[in-house]
Amino acid sequence: MIKLHLPSRASLWCAVALSATVLGFGTATVWAEPEKTQTQVHGANGALLPRDSKDAAVFRGGLVYANYCVTCHGINADGNGRAARLHTPRPANLRASDKNDAYIGLIVRKGGEPLGRSTGMPPWGEELTDEQIGDVVAFVRSVNAQSHSR
Amino acid sequence: MKTLNLIALVAALACGSALASQEHVVAQKDKSFSTKKLDIKVGDKVAFRNDDGFSHNIFSLTDAMPFDLGTYGSGQLKTVTFSKAGKFEIECAIHPDMRMVVNVAP
Repeated sequence: MIKLHLPSRASLWCAVALSATVLGFGTATVWAEPEKTQTQVHGANGALLPRDSKDAAVFRGGLVYANYCVTCHGINADGNGRAARLHTPRPANLRASDKNDAYIGLIVRKGGEPLGRSTGMPPWGEELTDEQIGDVVAFVRSVNAQSHSR
Repeated sequence: MKTLNLIALVAALACGSALASQEHVVAQKDKSFSTKKLDIKVGDKVAFRNDDGFSHNIFSLTDAMPFDLGTYGSGQLKTVTFSKAGKFEIECAIHPDMRMVVNVAP
């Protein structure tokens, strides 16, 4: 069971659209119960994906991204979110990142300042679970891989 | 004459206090602002105080005076002087559901 503040309807649909674009998913089922949220991910053929599969992690990570990251890093993960203009340096273009998964996870968890990076990046370890951090790293890796494959 | 001087002094003090800027405090507690709406005047200050046990990052994208207070931890306080009139939508970069409005009158 993952801890997830249910995103706004708009950001939820952004996440679904994002993940569908990245992975070609057919459908996703997300429902909320008081104090908990369950996310089941179906592949394009309708089959339920294993919870610990990479594709499921990428989809869940897209939800995390849409709820917490899109404000600064943007809907296209290119650093052009609506709050980007407040920051110098600007939020990272995640599509062009050359960092490995471990380092990305560290930045997400600790924030920018302890790593000598932008103080605009909050320490998300206070807000996100370990699974959510892993999922959002998987999502960032997926958009990064797609960008480099083109 | 002394009475007139005293009256003038009292009047000047009264006007001065009315014109002086005020400081308001908005607490962040349980991932919420202590008030959804705050009405102030140009020149007033708003102190955003973190009463939660984790960090917040308060910002506003309002064109009149955009600002970002950065991430600050439990017990810390960041103050903004609202030098422009307008309707300011205040958010937290870490907690997307945290929103409030500061109405700044001229």
